[in-house]
Amino acid sequence: MKRKRIIRTACSVLVVAFTLFMLQRLLLPKYVSDVVEGRLIAEYYAEEKDHDVIFIGDCEVYENFSPKILWEDYGINSYIRGSAQQLIWQSYYLLEDTLRYEKPKVVVFNVLAMKYDEPQNEAYNRMSLEGMKWSMAKVKAIQASMTDEEHFLDYVFPILRYHSRWSSLKAEDVEYLFTDRKVSHNGYYMRVDVKPAKDVPEGKMLADYRFGENAYQYLDKMAKLCRDNDIKLVLVKAPSLYPYWYDEWERQIEDYAKQNGLLYINFLELKEETGLDYDSDTYDGGLHLNLSGAEKITAYLGQALQDEYHLTDRRSEERLSKIWADKTAAYEQDRRKQEEETEKQ
Amino acid sequence: MRSKVWIGSIMMIALLCGCGSDVKVIEGDVAVKETAAQAQEKKQEDTAAEVTEEDTAQYSGYVFTYGGTVIGMDMDAAPIVEQLGEADSYFEAPSCAFEGIDKVYTYGSFELDTYPTDDKDYVSSVVFKDDTIATTEGVGIGDPEDKVVEAYGSDWTEEDGMRVYEKDGMKLCFILEDDTVASIEYRSTAIEQ
Repeated sequence: MKRKRIIRTACSVLVVAFTLFMLQRLLLPKYVSDVVEGRLIAEYYAEEKDHDVIFIGDCEVYENFSPKILWEDYGINSYIRGSAQQLIWQSYYLLEDTLRYEKPKVVVFNVLAMKYDEPQNEAYNRMSLEGMKWSMAKVKAIQASMTDEEHFLDYVFPILRYHSRWSSLKAEDVEYLFTDRKVSHNGYYMRVDVKPAKDVPEGKMLADYRFGENAYQYLDKMAKLCRDNDIKLVLVKAPSLYPYWYDEWERQIEDYAKQNGLLYINFLELKEETGLDYDSDTYDGGLHLNLSGAEKITAYLGQALQDEYHLTDRRSEERLSKIWADKTAAYEQDRRKQEEETEKQ
Repeated sequence: MRSKVWIGSIMMIALLCGCGSDVKVIEGDVAVKETAAQAQEKKQEDTAAEVTEEDTAQYSGYVFTYGGTVIGMDMDAAPIVEQLGEADSYFEAPSCAFEGIDKVYTYGSFELDTYPTDDKDYVSSVVFKDDTIATTEGVGIGDPEDKVVEAYGSDWTEEDGMRVYEKDGMKLCFILEDDTVASIEYRSTAIEQ
């Protein structure tokens, strides 16, 4: 009798847990047809983890650099762990998370995130954090990122946060209940359309141009983590014209790179060297590069990485070449599809 | 027993789903902006198209007046942009990932920024570009600190090195250099949420 009761109770618990699990799967945003950037972080885990270069940072990495070019031109196997408005503490913990799986030779970090010294926005937090697999890195990333209104438990049980989506569920919420659709090319978000940069506003005057202590603390931690793991940390400023990159910020990054012996590349100053044309190489008026622009600056970055760190050209590795042949086919297919759509408009 | 399990499950589902209407849905970052914008819009609708400086008292927070056009934070931007006429320059800044475009209109002496909510644009900030204009209370770039205190009092807070006067969910921000006003910005607090 007692045994029966235990079995019944266990079954009851299982049924309720299963129901909640299914509900949570259903209610979580799928980030497939829109706001696809929400899927970027999770896509990494399905990859074979043998990368030479890992990019971390905000939209200025995942929209401006193309790993396919690093492979095609230099035989460098790379991946972008970027997400929208990725804050520096999120970049740091994403790097910690990455090191659980692999140890790249170079980590490239985009420095725009230094402008933020405290948590900003829950919606962006969730796009950077929810895709991470559970680990201490994720726990710490959540703790470092939460705004005053957020609760840790809502990240553990996202159903607590998303239960109001029940009234706006779409067909894709069912279609992608247990399946995923790739939205990036090794973390790169491709756009082929063109919108020239014009009338880009200058930056507003700031009372204090110094980067915050918290931002510096995480940059120090990132530099140390790389040093401890014999990884070369490269700082970059992507050539995005907006948000405005102040001269005062530039000087601080230059000083930091010099003091810590880091390579720093500011692509805003390399228009001629990269051949970047803001009339044809951006799809949104100078905020992000389109495919043409991304391929130009990635080619420059690849040469810089080769010159500085003499990374091995791995194009002769049969297995990796095969993986990249498939990736390149998907990349070219996406390019053609987007070009056709652009022509129709 | 089986029926108890189902009743329990259904109750839990009802509990989780039923209270959804008052919780912000995280599919964009603008849902919380509605209250401020809608409240300001209502006041804007109540006022005639042609506004004078005397009308400014009807608005929430500090407002900026330019050539008879009253510009308040979280107000519907469309009629304001129409009244101001063609801007010297115009820039669109799509937000990363989310739909919607922040817009920047520059009118010589000031910059007007907007944020989108649903199908409308609302004023997010006004930034002074030179010393040819002044706030409705008469303070402009280049004025001494005393004039700021005279106009807005001593009830201010410091935020990122700025002197900030907060009123009705908006902020009036001054940057002072050597006791002189170097920058003036009206700012909606909706975009900070």
